[in-house]
Amino acid sequence: MKKRILSCVLAGLLATTVLVGCGGGQAAKTSAAKTFIFAQGADPRGLDPAFVDDGESAKVMCNIYEGLVKYGDDNTSIEPCLAEKWDVSADGKEYTFHLRKGVKFHDGTDFNADAVVKSVTRQLPPNATDDMPYASFTFNGVTKVEAVDANTVKFTLKEPNTPFLANLAMTLAAPIVSPTALEKNKGNLNEAPVGTGPFKFVSWEKGSKVTLEKNNDYWGEKAKLDKVVIKIDKENSVRASELMTGAIDAMDGLDPSDVDKLKEKNMNIFSKPGMNINYMAFDCDRAPFNDPKVREAVSYAIDRNELVKYLYQDYADPAKTMLPNFIAGYKDVAAYEYNPEKAKQMLKELGKENLQVKMITYSNPRPYNSVGGQKLAEAIQNYLSKVGITATIDVYQWTEYKAKIKQGEGDIKFYGWNGDNGDADNFLSLVDSKEIASSLNAARYSNPEVDKLLAQGKATPNGDARNAVYGQIQDILAKDAPWVNISYSKQMAASSPKVKNFSVHPTGSVFFQKVDKE
Amino acid sequence: MFKYFIKRLLLLIPVVIGVSILVFVIMHVLSSDPTSIILGQHASQEQIDALRQQLGLNDPLYIQYLKFMGGIVTGDFGTSLITKSSVATEIFSRFPATIELAIISVIVASIVGITLGVISAVKQNSILDYLCMGTSLVGVSMPIFWLGLILIVLFSVILGWLPVSGRATIGLEPAKITGLYLLDSLLSGDMTAFVDSLEHLVLPVIALSSYSTAIIARMTRSTMLEVLGQDYIRTARSKGLAEKIVVKGHGLRNALIPVSTVIGLQLGSLLGGAVLTETVFSWPGIGGYTIDAILKSDYPVVQGSVMIMAIIFVLVNLFVDLLYAFIDPRIKYS
Repeated sequence: MKKRILSCVLAGLLATTVLVGCGGGQAAKTSAAKTFIFAQGADPRGLDPAFVDDGESAKVMCNIYEGLVKYGDDNTSIEPCLAEKWDVSADGKEYTFHLRKGVKFHDGTDFNADAVVKSVTRQLPPNATDDMPYASFTFNGVTKVEAVDANTVKFTLKEPNTPFLANLAMTLAAPIVSPTALEKNKGNLNEAPVGTGPFKFVSWEKGSKVTLEKNNDYWGEKAKLDKVVIKIDKENSVRASELMTGAIDAMDGLDPSDVDKLKEKNMNIFSKPGMNINYMAFDCDRAPFNDPKVREAVSYAIDRNELVKYLYQDYADPAKTMLPNFIAGYKDVAAYEYNPEKAKQMLKELGKENLQVKMITYSNPRPYNSVGGQKLAEAIQNYLSKVGITATIDVYQWTEYKAKIKQGEGDIKFYGWNGDNGDADNFLSLVDSKEIASSLNAARYSNPEVDKLLAQGKATPNGDARNAVYGQIQDILAKDAPWVNISYSKQMAASSPKVKNFSVHPTGSVFFQKVDKE
Repeated sequence: MFKYFIKRLLLLIPVVIGVSILVFVIMHVLSSDPTSIILGQHASQEQIDALRQQLGLNDPLYIQYLKFMGGIVTGDFGTSLITKSSVATEIFSRFPATIELAIISVIVASIVGITLGVISAVKQNSILDYLCMGTSLVGVSMPIFWLGLILIVLFSVILGWLPVSGRATIGLEPAKITGLYLLDSLLSGDMTAFVDSLEHLVLPVIALSSYSTAIIARMTRSTMLEVLGQDYIRTARSKGLAEKIVVKGHGLRNALIPVSTVIGLQLGSLLGGAVLTETVFSWPGIGGYTIDAILKSDYPVVQGSVMIMAIIFVLVNLFVDLLYAFIDPRIKYS
């Protein structure tokens, strides 16, 4: 018996050793063509731009599809793409796009004005359906889209809307899809995407990976990689381990705690400003924060630099204004620097010593706040106590939290915004009094002057005049302090040293067109 | 035997109804409104109201339940709210990954568990016994998630012996025949893919089988001790039978009956998706799929997958019960 057991154990050990022995050099085993493996945290929701609203889908789709316009390489300025140029009518209501000629979809059919019209009209009323999450945002106010000739398309808008151009650069809703493919797939390309981009869709094994291959007929600079595999690895630390073992070439969604380990292994770390804002809003509609002076005093009590350093471990940038600095219209406004003595003094003068306030917050981490709402609220509670304010914290799960905001609960509410189109209006219109009803204006801030300027900004063509309007709004907001801007969370990614030209766009997209690998 | 089989199959109905009510109520009462997730951050109240109406979320709960059960009876497990794909198709496409991981884990857990248990029982109160039971105590108490991460760091990152995650190295997947990578690579004679798939299985199997191994080892030890204390064992020994034959032929055979129940239960629960293991090792099975659906309040997916898991669990148990008759000649079903 003894011998038998011993021999069984030995045989088992031997088998394991043999197996392990075969396993040497995991990285060396990928197939011969230039394959690039990128790991992200979740499956795309789908691969038809009309039916999705998540970043994981966008990261895949931005390599398959293209829009009429695109963003600049590391900012959100607007550049030509499938449209070579465009004209905007004097009244700002008509956009005429002159399309690039000779472009073909991956299925071999021609890209032309007809394709643009079909891609857009399926998302306009009455064709648009409830499951098109970005249709109404992207094509807001579009009354008509028509083919002027084979290579010219005209959009007619109800009213002037400059952010419309930025909307057309988004990976959601705006990209142009192959009409033939739409017809073949009953109007939904979620599982069979066909665009004009530098990569063609090959396959999608749900929960495992999406495979793309180089589009050899691409109209522009052709991709350097033959094949791109987007691998789904749910755990951030597991992705980091895979990068260290060479099983993948690049990843996004990196945990700050993994950065040092990756650096030790000579991996490249990318930490770029993100298109978001993390803030705490005062309820400007009732006492005590309906008094701008009280808001100002509390603004002095909060040290955003310290929050960024200790709470976010420097994986965020301190925010002085609502706009991230790469968005046109950003203004380096004067911010409230940390000064608890001044805060105390001001509160005393206002007769608001020993103030008691109710804070509400969300429980889960958000894209703009990696530590979650509760930890941030607790840190703020601590700052407030130093100036004599007693704050209570009520924590809710996200959906319930949004309902609470809608009901107008809480004197201070924690919130944030993840930008959509990289336009200043997308951020600043959060304080439009029209948005109080939708609860996006969580501060319930209402200032007719700001409303007027926002409307003016929307109607002014891109350029210095428009940027000046947004600068003016930021000045007013800095003075009025409807909320305390805290931070912009950074985009974190990493790549192997063998990878060249890898980068993460401020919108969170990852473009593989220029990426190369040794 | 056949009658018993039919009786057990009929008993499946109340179990399935019970599970369906439970999962339905939990998903509809406790989880958040899926419309806000489907429509995104720009949804207006009108859109939310319209979608709620369209999805039938405004109907009374019992009507919604009856609609859901009507679907199940006709084999329609619904469509995902988020991806619009058929729940049954999604689950069955992920099932091979889960089956492969679960079956191999149970085989490993049974072999190691029974071996450890028998050694402990035969060498009761020896150092070997303490060692085996100490190991199984660690196995029972170790959180799988943590164990998985430690295994990755040790065997993949530091030693570089085994792959970190997934079912196969990208580019080395075997041709798809059954969806079970080991079997597919053998059938297509692709030995590179076979070894590669096997390597990808090692860490998840260790993580997943640790708990089952420990449970089986402890169960084997206690039943083995009980059996070895029986009069017939004393008789066998006094007859002058070799200890090997006493332990194997008279002891183990009898001790295995309750152990087989435990193994069956373990297989049932592992087939229901090893949620944590699948998450850590990015194993594209149904456990990870269900967790995603729970987080997104995608209730048709959660309901559908829990129902399928429940049915599988009950069927596996039935199969184990039927197996009793073969292991123990004293048991007869009539």
